Amino acid sequence: MSAPFSGVSSRAWIFAAAMVAVLLVGGAGGMIIANARAGSDDVAPSAGSVDVGFAQDMRVHHLQAVTMAGIERDRTADSTLQGLAFDIESTQLSQASEMSGWLTVWVQPSLPAPGAGHMKWMSEGGTHTHSNGEGGKTTGEVQRMPGMATTEELNKLRKLSGQELDVFFLQLMLRHHQGGLEMAEYGARHASKGYVRNLAQKIVDSQENEADLMRDFLAQRGAKPLPAP
Amino acid sequence: MASGTKSKGSNKPKGKPNSANKARKSVVGTARKPKPWGMIIGVIVIVLLAGGVFTYAFTEISDKEKWVVSEDNKDPSTNISGVVRKEYESGQHVTPEQRVAYDQSPPFGGPHDNAWAECNGTVYPNAVRTENMVHSLEHGSVWIAYNPDKVKGKALDTLKGKVEGQPYMLMSPYPGLDQPISLQSWGHQLKLKDATDPRIDEFIKSLRENQYQNPEPGGRCDAQGTGFDVTNPPPFVAEKPGPDAVTMDGKGASAATDEGQGGAVPPATGGETPPATGGATPPATGGTQAPPPSQ
Repeated sequence: MSAPFSGVSSRAWIFAAAMVAVLLVGGAGGMIIANARAGSDDVAPSAGSVDVGFAQDMRVHHLQAVTMAGIERDRTADSTLQGLAFDIESTQLSQASEMSGWLTVWVQPSLPAPGAGHMKWMSEGGTHTHSNGEGGKTTGEVQRMPGMATTEELNKLRKLSGQELDVFFLQLMLRHHQGGLEMAEYGARHASKGYVRNLAQKIVDSQENEADLMRDFLAQRGAKPLPAP
Repeated sequence: MASGTKSKGSNKPKGKPNSANKARKSVVGTARKPKPWGMIIGVIVIVLLAGGVFTYAFTEISDKEKWVVSEDNKDPSTNISGVVRKEYESGQHVTPEQRVAYDQSPPFGGPHDNAWAECNGTVYPNAVRTENMVHSLEHGSVWIAYNPDKVKGKALDTLKGKVEGQPYMLMSPYPGLDQPISLQSWGHQLKLKDATDPRIDEFIKSLRENQYQNPEPGGRCDAQGTGFDVTNPPPFVAEKPGPDAVTMDGKGASAATDEGQGGAVPPATGGETPPATGGATPPATGGTQAPPPSQ
């Protein structure tokens, strides 16, 4: 018992204790600094990345769904479809705003540059093909994203009423969901940020279920879906 | 020579004093011990202080991060004891006339009504139809259900205080609840006895609007325009759902809508639950009447 406290070994003990104290205090300091810096060394996705491309393009895609759902919500007489339209409108507007928030933090434009086309970010690796929105397949950028309604289609929707309005809304929204699916699936697999992949996957899952629902609603009304985008 | 004698002289004592030395050393050793005690205590104090600083920093930081939802911490409710978790398919809708044969009571996932119950810090005085409440969970809200026979007065006020004015919160009595209080978030449930249990706040901060656990991030809580009237919500139905109820796999969730509108199912359900339909279904009935003419 007396040996550790005598002579050289007592010095060794004091030295070891001092080391432990220094390590503990240093470790605590390190944790506090790391905690304060948390997130600040997070690298923002850059222009041309999957994250930025997905956020910009999906935002555009979502905002058209908000427009179409708003028309249906205001004009339909069917309370079930009014509820569905309100659900789609609210959820997609909120998600579009989340994407806009990411883009602000990443110091990127909230929308794709004018004339820049869409979905260029999906050609990563060169082997992936996607729909060009006009029924063909492409690997490069497109001017109109799959599933997007044309101005004439939107104006037609604005003028219809009753059963015709409900059927055309379901057709347009179903095609819109189908068209957005590819982008969402690509984002869910290839985005660098976990929260981007998460939202993309939630869009895949929830919109696939919503698409099934709209297929049933169309069938109930004796109508058929539009050709897939 | 001198050294010789010296060594001789020293040798001699060395031999004997060897034992004497030892004895002296041990005497000196015991005599010196009191000195190191100060040192030892000092060292121990310093190490303990350092340990205290480390522990404080560690617990402060990990406690703060424990409840923050992030990619590394997708479900903070794993830190709470007693939470039941289940996976549910989202997005399966039923009509106002249909009932769902839920697997849990209160349910916390599964097929649900097309219209969600308003969940903007809404305190419902009366029990509400479960199929609407489940849809609110899908949108990221936390539902506080309580047994109206067991939770009253101060405890009830404590719970209300956690809901009133709080977005993505809703609260309602749930007759026949097997515990005084039950918290629901999509895929998560925690049953409790005491309204002051700290796990209530922990559950809320872990799961409300949790983008990783809720199936529809960004889902809304306002319910106007959905057919759900917050001032006159469809009432809770105490009777067990019949064989025509939609099952948990969503079987008939949409197909039954079809058949239902054909005429077979809703009259049957309507007949079984006249009190339920009586109170609140004007909007609901309006909703169902709309599709048939379309057919």
